[in-house]
Amino acid sequence: MKNLFFVCGIALFFSAEAYAEDEGAAFFEAKVRPILVERCFSCHSAGAKKPRGGLLLDSKEGWEKGGDSGPAIVPGKPEESLLAQAIRYDRDELRMPPKGKLAEKEIAVLNDWIKRGAPDPRRSAAVVKPTKRTIDVESARSHWAFRPLRATEQPKVDSDWPKSPVDPYILARLQGKKLKPNPPADRRVLLRRLSFDLIGLPPSPEETDAFVADRSPDAVEKAVDRLLADPGYGERWARHWLDLARFAESHGYEHDYDRPTAYPYRDFVARAFNSDLPFDLFVKWQLAGDELAPDDNLALAATGFLAAGVHSTQITANQVEKERYDELDDIVQTVGTSMLGLTIGCARCHDHKYDPIPTADYYRLLSCFTTTVRGEIDLIPDRAGYAKALAKYEREHAPYVEALAKFDRDSLASRLSAWENARASARSAKPKWVVLEPIKSESKAGAAFQTLEDGSIRASGKNADFDTYTIAVACELSTVTAVKVEALSDPGLVRKGPGRADNGNFDLTDLSLSVGPRYGIGATWKPSLINPKATFEQSGLPIAAVLDSDIKTGWAIDPQFGRDHAAVFELAEDARTDSGAILTFRLDFQGNLRHNIGRLRFSATSSPRPVGLVDDGVPVEIARLLEIAAENRTSEQKNRILDWYRTIDPERRALRRACDEHARTAPKPDGIKALVCSEGIQPLRLHTQGADFFEKTYFLLRGDPNRKNGEATPSFLQVLMNSPEKEKHWRIDPPAGSRLSFRRASLANWITDVDQGAGALLARVIVNRLWQHHFGRGLVATPSDFGFQADPPTHPELLDRLATELIRNGWKLKPIQRMMVLSATYRESSIDDPDKSRIDPDDRLLWRHRRVRLEAEPIRDALLSVSGKLDRRMYGPGTLDEHQTRRSLYFTIKRSKLIPFLTRFDAPDALQGLAERSSTTVAPQALWLMNDPIVREWSESFARRIEPREGRTLEWSVREAYRLAFAREPSAEESADDLAFLKRQAESYRQDGEGDGSRRALTDFCQSILCSNEFVTID
Amino acid sequence: MAVPIPLFATPVHPSRRDFLRGAGSGAGLLALAALLDSQGALGATAAEGEADRAIHPLSPRPGPFPAKARSVIWLFMNGGQSQVDTWDYKPELIKRDGRELPGFDKNTGFFTDQVGPLMKSPFRFSQQGESGTWVSEIFPELARRVDDLALIHSCYTETNNHSPALFEINTGQSRMGFPCLGAWVTYGLGSESQNLPGFVVMYDTLGRGLPKGHASNWGSGFLPGVYQGTALNAQGAPIDDLTRPEILSDRRQRAELDLLARRNRRHFAERADEASLAARIESFELAYRMQMAAPEAIDIRRETASTQKLYGIDDPKCGHFAKQCLIARRLVERGVRFVQIYSGGMENERSWDGHQDIVKNHGGFAMETDRPIAALLTDLKSRGLLDSTLVVCNGEFGRLPIVQKGGTGRDHNPHAFTAWLAGGGVKAGARYGQTDEFGHKAVVDRVGVNDFHATILRLLGLDHQKLTYRFNGRDYRLTDVGGRVVEEIIA
Repeated sequence: MKNLFFVCGIALFFSAEAYAEDEGAAFFEAKVRPILVERCFSCHSAGAKKPRGGLLLDSKEGWEKGGDSGPAIVPGKPEESLLAQAIRYDRDELRMPPKGKLAEKEIAVLNDWIKRGAPDPRRSAAVVKPTKRTIDVESARSHWAFRPLRATEQPKVDSDWPKSPVDPYILARLQGKKLKPNPPADRRVLLRRLSFDLIGLPPSPEETDAFVADRSPDAVEKAVDRLLADPGYGERWARHWLDLARFAESHGYEHDYDRPTAYPYRDFVARAFNSDLPFDLFVKWQLAGDELAPDDNLALAATGFLAAGVHSTQITANQVEKERYDELDDIVQTVGTSMLGLTIGCARCHDHKYDPIPTADYYRLLSCFTTTVRGEIDLIPDRAGYAKALAKYEREHAPYVEALAKFDRDSLASRLSAWENARASARSAKPKWVVLEPIKSESKAGAAFQTLEDGSIRASGKNADFDTYTIAVACELSTVTAVKVEALSDPGLVRKGPGRADNGNFDLTDLSLSVGPRYGIGATWKPSLINPKATFEQSGLPIAAVLDSDIKTGWAIDPQFGRDHAAVFELAEDARTDSGAILTFRLDFQGNLRHNIGRLRFSATSSPRPVGLVDDGVPVEIARLLEIAAENRTSEQKNRILDWYRTIDPERRALRRACDEHARTAPKPDGIKALVCSEGIQPLRLHTQGADFFEKTYFLLRGDPNRKNGEATPSFLQVLMNSPEKEKHWRIDPPAGSRLSFRRASLANWITDVDQGAGALLARVIVNRLWQHHFGRGLVATPSDFGFQADPPTHPELLDRLATELIRNGWKLKPIQRMMVLSATYRESSIDDPDKSRIDPDDRLLWRHRRVRLEAEPIRDALLSVSGKLDRRMYGPGTLDEHQTRRSLYFTIKRSKLIPFLTRFDAPDALQGLAERSSTTVAPQALWLMNDPIVREWSESFARRIEPREGRTLEWSVREAYRLAFAREPSAEESADDLAFLKRQAESYRQDGEGDGSRRALTDFCQSILCSNEFVTID
Repeated sequence: MAVPIPLFATPVHPSRRDFLRGAGSGAGLLALAALLDSQGALGATAAEGEADRAIHPLSPRPGPFPAKARSVIWLFMNGGQSQVDTWDYKPELIKRDGRELPGFDKNTGFFTDQVGPLMKSPFRFSQQGESGTWVSEIFPELARRVDDLALIHSCYTETNNHSPALFEINTGQSRMGFPCLGAWVTYGLGSESQNLPGFVVMYDTLGRGLPKGHASNWGSGFLPGVYQGTALNAQGAPIDDLTRPEILSDRRQRAELDLLARRNRRHFAERADEASLAARIESFELAYRMQMAAPEAIDIRRETASTQKLYGIDDPKCGHFAKQCLIARRLVERGVRFVQIYSGGMENERSWDGHQDIVKNHGGFAMETDRPIAALLTDLKSRGLLDSTLVVCNGEFGRLPIVQKGGTGRDHNPHAFTAWLAGGGVKAGARYGQTDEFGHKAVVDRVGVNDFHATILRLLGLDHQKLTYRFNGRDYRLTDVGGRVVEEIIA
């Protein structure tokens, strides 16, 4: 029946026939035919508008006969085949396809095919007319999942069994098969079931006792309402949705960088469940919260749904576009499976194999997200208050800003010219420095030196932890009174230097100078250096330290990186060097690791002492501009000078300080950062060698971004659009000037529209998920696939009834869940009955409750709860620390570092949305429970909790353990067995001299309780 | 404990489910069922096979074809081994050394601005063995084993960057999150060993990091987590939680587990329809045995001095990789289905990713691996294990025949690389496929990743078109919609 909805032509790509027995044919179908269809048929098939060159490639006869130039293929001989020559562009006059060469891969396939003898199962052109399988959207609308919700009469059953509107539907089907529902489960079993289902934690013994004792008719209602109101409900149910949302807190791929701001989405989901946020809103916000409720933090955080998928962080230039399509594919695929129960992603390369989703729908849906990017925003708790405070502050701040502007307008220019005059007169008294030419440069640790045109030396290569530079320079002055050592900035250095440390700093720990003759013979002597001065000294690292006797103390310049620095040293006695001299500087770097100078220059002067610094703090670039006469400066040069001068003018600096000080009183948003998806925000950039997004989305042939086939504009799934206006019906236009396109808002509008859009399906899918988690299996057994491949619902009327109720209740989930868990069906015992099993072995008709093993998180949370260690603090950043004692929901999910315990018990890897977890049983799970120090620690804690005290006996301990872990009392047999064990085990410890044997034995007993099948099984 | 032995009156081929249903209670029954199953006493229909897989995810089961190989050891030359410096001899490259590679697309490699001219291999090649296979001088030991190898010279991938390429060669998809080959194989065949993980991964123990993309390379994707690779920890205990708390002692742990088993059996007696509960009872027994079996399996000190010497355990140049190769042999000997060993760590000079200096990089990594790999082949053969063990060796892509500017290394090349296979069902001495005259692109008999995977599955008796898993409404395959078995290298 499924195929009724297709108008089947020839299944081009994937039909079963395609994989014919003959491997050659299979190769043809899988590899060759798609190329011929897409790249050749438009000109060379019977269906072509204008067949070219007389050649048809849509049948074997076609190429055998060939076209105007003769047979196209010589089987087995690609080199002799015209077709092979044409696609290789071997011959200038015969290049096919004419508009662009095929991809290398395609050429190789066709070549390979010819070489294999060109196996071709197609017999005649008539049969293989390239009719793609066409999808009949209209008739597909009658598929059970796509139909409007049908309100059917509740089945009439003659029984007092029903307790909720759910039950008559179940009972009618059971009676039809002459099956009786199981008797209700024991009250203890029921409360344990309810407790784990609703809040993911076991009931306390007190809760169990109270429930068992409560004989009032509404005892179950009261328990259910208590659990639905427990904040643990949101923590439990958030996890189900997070599985579907492939939620994690890292990017995945090669670096798997953290997403430290991803957790607000997790909290949004838990809060939404706890506050019973209407499900349609829940969906809308996840798609377009930024557009629909921009002032609501929860709505903004909700868009973390779109951002949660993996994304490559290292994208090479030729992969950028493909990766962007992959990124959008992840979004559309997840929207499809989680919200609509449709595998939309399957239509990326070809029309959906089974469902009525043409490739065109896929790309038009993708187009809704074209300009959507990941980014981080501040979630501000009190948005209105903040806006008010900000406005007030801005009013008060304006005068400060105005004062600065006024100064710049009225005073700056005149103050600059006054400063220039003062500088000129100061400079005339300055010493004349001569740059000394380097002759020989050596590094003890092996750095390489290069002499630059300005006489400076640049170090490169090895940057050792410690080094000593010995640099000899030639000096032609007849008298030297002082020397200057410059540490210069350089674009090739870290933060432009001047040092080679990771931050651009250096640490010159010692400096000495020796003077020898330039030519001929003469003594070499070491002048004393005195009166050191430097352009800048880092606090605690003064220039004087390079002359002291301590090799570890020195001169450094943090934080003035990227600037030129200099130090001047006077010689205690003049160096007289009539025929020129060689000055040899020895510089030691023995303080901080790798703090060697990156670029140096040496100068000398004959000016009389005291010798000052030439550098008056004016950067070289500005100093050069200042040398141009004021009237000759261009306006650009003037501005450059003014921009710099502004920063040093004392009056303006005072104004600036006042302004900055006031700025510190600005109100803080006080928010948390959240990873969201939106448009027009700063995209989260990683190592992408290209754009973050492209302005347009295109239809791609076979999913290949290199084969675009026209622009895809936003639209939705045709089969779920029941409006003659099509997508326009749901379109919401953005407000004028908005950075947002409202394409996603339009999508949200459509997806929740019950009457004409996808709303009915949306409702069916979510109520089925609720059912799945309460009953162990959905009414539709494939909760994320409601397409043609899905098994139809076991109870279609009930599914529609629940969906209708959901919508009628304003899309609130709790009332629907209440309806489910208060039903007689839910209360059935899980006990097997061979007679019923024979009729309905898989319990599809729900004659009994389905027994399940707890998932990873409730197992761990229950272990913590029972051992008295559970920390119930909610929300906020998670952790990777396995020893943490909050609920498992608060583990950080880092894709490359998943919590080993969780994955061992089948928690998802968060790479794709997951509707149903597997439930495996393997030895590593047992090993964890047996040997992991964490479990031992919890067992000890459990033991302390039930240790006999105040005159109580071990029997009491055993009983208490059962009550805590299993919500029941032990039988006499169990109690006897456990007590015997405790005695023997304690004795064993004592024999080995292991101290307090009783406590240790009790720990072992508690551990065995936590390992028990009963502990992880929900009847 | 006395296990009641049920009587098989009817049916002739009881299913495992019936067996458990009828048997009522008792741990150890599953072990018995597995035993009977392995002797063919319990027939299983396809549907029951699926149900069985849900209860016993790792119990051994045959594939649809007669299996040539039983286990796989995949030696992964992480970072991308250069084909033209190892197995793909290109005399034309010597002639054209220093000349431009005509028509080269500068976006082929990773560093698009460091494109240099053709560079001949710095290594000498010679023909070896009866097959006359050309081998680079960096593999003096493997050169003596070339007649055991089948070389595929025409492999290629779709992507030029490490982690997508690693994902592709491991999972068939360059995107993250799909089940890897090892997971599919273990899903398809289970494991012969119930005391050890079915799929074991070893990575660099010298602190050079994990392959890019980390554990996703041996993940199970949407397959149940039980099929993911167990990576032996590089430091400390090789497998987590294998050591019992010291204070407990074997005797007291046994007593605790006996108490647990009694309690679980009482619980099971009232729920005998629930086979997974029996499986869980058994899992504690398996775990108990694993505590002994796993340390024993990876304890290479139990090997004779001559075996240790053969692998080069004490050779500082290759000892770390030698240990892993020897462990791999011990694991397959004990029935482990799939072992993967990564040579090299994360990237650049920490792996085969020789961007800067091929002589130093490939020379060094060849020194680490040549002797251990040759020894592994020798050792497997002498123990009669090579016939049932498929040994595979390759990286995630190849390297360009041109030099990367600024050094004497080579950049990534997705268009061609060489993989070799040996043992289990492989046609020894075979050579398949060709690259162009420079070794730049695979041109003849090209073998894509789907084809590569299909071939390995076939050697294990699996049909790559039928090994499927339904997830989110679709039957997924390792080979997606492609894959051609390279029959030419199958004996």
